[in-house]
Amino acid sequence: MSISVNGQSCVPPGFRFHPTEEELLNYYLRKKVASEEIDLDVIRDVDLNKLEPWDIQEKCKIGSGPQNDWYFFSHKDKKYPTGTRTNRATAAGFWKATGRDKAIYNAVKRIGMRKTLVFYKGRAPHGQKSDWIMHEYRLDDPSSTTDAAPTATMVVSASTSSDAGQEDGWVVCRVFKKKHHHKDAGAGNGKRGGGGRDDGGKAARSSSPLYSSDDALDQILHYMGRSCKQEHELSSPRPRTATSRYLRPLETVLGGHGFMKLPPLESPSAAATARNSTTTPLAPKGDGNVEREVAHAEDLHQPHRDGGITDWAMMDRLVASHLNGQHDASTDQLCFDGTAGHAGGNDALDDTAVNGLAFYSAAATRLLGGAAAGSSDDDLWSFARSAASSERLSHVSP
Amino acid sequence: MGGSTNLPPGFHFFPSDEELVIHFLRRKAALLPCRPDIVPTLPQNRYDPWELNGKALQAGNQWYFFSQATQSRASRNGCWNPIGADEAVSSGGSHVGLKKTLVFSIGEPFQATKTNWVMHEYHLLDGNVGTSTSGSSRKRSHKKKGQPDKECSNWVVCRVFESSYDSQVTFHEEDMELSCLDEVFLSLDDYDEVSLPKN
Repeated sequence: MSISVNGQSCVPPGFRFHPTEEELLNYYLRKKVASEEIDLDVIRDVDLNKLEPWDIQEKCKIGSGPQNDWYFFSHKDKKYPTGTRTNRATAAGFWKATGRDKAIYNAVKRIGMRKTLVFYKGRAPHGQKSDWIMHEYRLDDPSSTTDAAPTATMVVSASTSSDAGQEDGWVVCRVFKKKHHHKDAGAGNGKRGGGGRDDGGKAARSSSPLYSSDDALDQILHYMGRSCKQEHELSSPRPRTATSRYLRPLETVLGGHGFMKLPPLESPSAAATARNSTTTPLAPKGDGNVEREVAHAEDLHQPHRDGGITDWAMMDRLVASHLNGQHDASTDQLCFDGTAGHAGGNDALDDTAVNGLAFYSAAATRLLGGAAAGSSDDDLWSFARSAASSERLSHVSP
Repeated sequence: MGGSTNLPPGFHFFPSDEELVIHFLRRKAALLPCRPDIVPTLPQNRYDPWELNGKALQAGNQWYFFSQATQSRASRNGCWNPIGADEAVSSGGSHVGLKKTLVFSIGEPFQATKTNWVMHEYHLLDGNVGTSTSGSSRKRSHKKKGQPDKECSNWVVCRVFESSYDSQVTFHEEDMELSCLDEVFLSLDDYDEVSLPKN
């Protein structure tokens, strides 16, 4: 149903509803929670359990133009009266949380959290993953803004850990279909603005500073992806074994370069790298940028490069610097200097950061190390176990 | 950001090619009022792209304006040079317009320096000012050729942006993409489904 006055759509041609995360949280969700009236009924209330993702398009249509994302309010109910988990099952499938929850900031402070969910068709253990993604935004619990909440952002693993006690109430959701990056990278150039994107437009996909903490990781993963691919190519004459079967999803994620975003030069990730390398290489924008900076930092810190090992050491350093950076970003968006940003005595935060780092680099090393050596399933199992156990850990910690 | 409309937060001017041609350019060429009348008319060759601020309609990092097409697209400090092939803009299965992409270069011709400023210049195609459907066979043929059909009316609508910004993608398409880490976790979710040995 479109928003309309007297049956006429009142969204003028050319306008799209594509709110920023801040607009979603601070305007729409805040008003919803406070039961204030919202001009134009743009975001509808939806019972998530009764709506399949493919029906959302029709139900949450705004205006008459093409739409790539859809918005609705949903009231979360507990799955079980005593538990804290949310029931997000529909007739055809269920929404499953993935990854970590992301903290959303405005210019001043943290305003809410974003959970990412994926729609699976079918029933729980045998669901089939679809391309439907949901970002579920919730406002910060006013009581937990200062101390308990920030830790949630640093818990890298279990997405379910951070929302204990916040599983009730209104959330605002954005639903969209995941893009297939490999296809998009090729098609996008032709479709959008022809040569405009080719021409000096390589960096056009780099994002604004708000998103740069993710970019830092992207950069790392880009780097990982490259070495992973190289190493895999080295071992590719081997016949397809069980290992390569397990590797496939990771390749799909890391192998393609189409969706890798290069950070803008002024981004904190670049700053973080520059801090490591003590100079600021003004490298031209381009694909070799990351590699060059990384190589540069390596040369300074590890004069004796011996093959892949230093790569991973470098990786860990990058992860560490990223986590520091993110940590600071949680206290002050503009401060990216390693330690100056945070007040002392914030031990819980540091611990989580360290845990997160340990988990993350362990995960990466295990997975990719296993890939490189092509060794056995052992690595994979122990990785899975470590992942599982750290997940359990973070379940326990509030 | 969106001109003089009283839309609630979250609405942004981000017209599709088709909307620009159908709702804006076609009405302009037919001397019909555009509602909302938010896209101003500028003399195309008078302003350098960085001078558009405050003169053209700004939406995010993009600027929109109407202009009369001219042969020389020079401004005070440089000129717009076409790059790439023209694209057809279609609506309801037929081609209604043409989209040219141009890049702004500073300085004298032959020693000009390219900039990041990009312009999309939309033209109406012959026979589409009114509702006439003649010439549809000709219209179809231009797609791969460098030279388009005779264009009707010399009104164009332009979108100017600096390609080093996000502006060409959308306002914040990053929201719409999973972060790389999310992708990793998504793929890790697959491992859950491999039944783990029980300890």
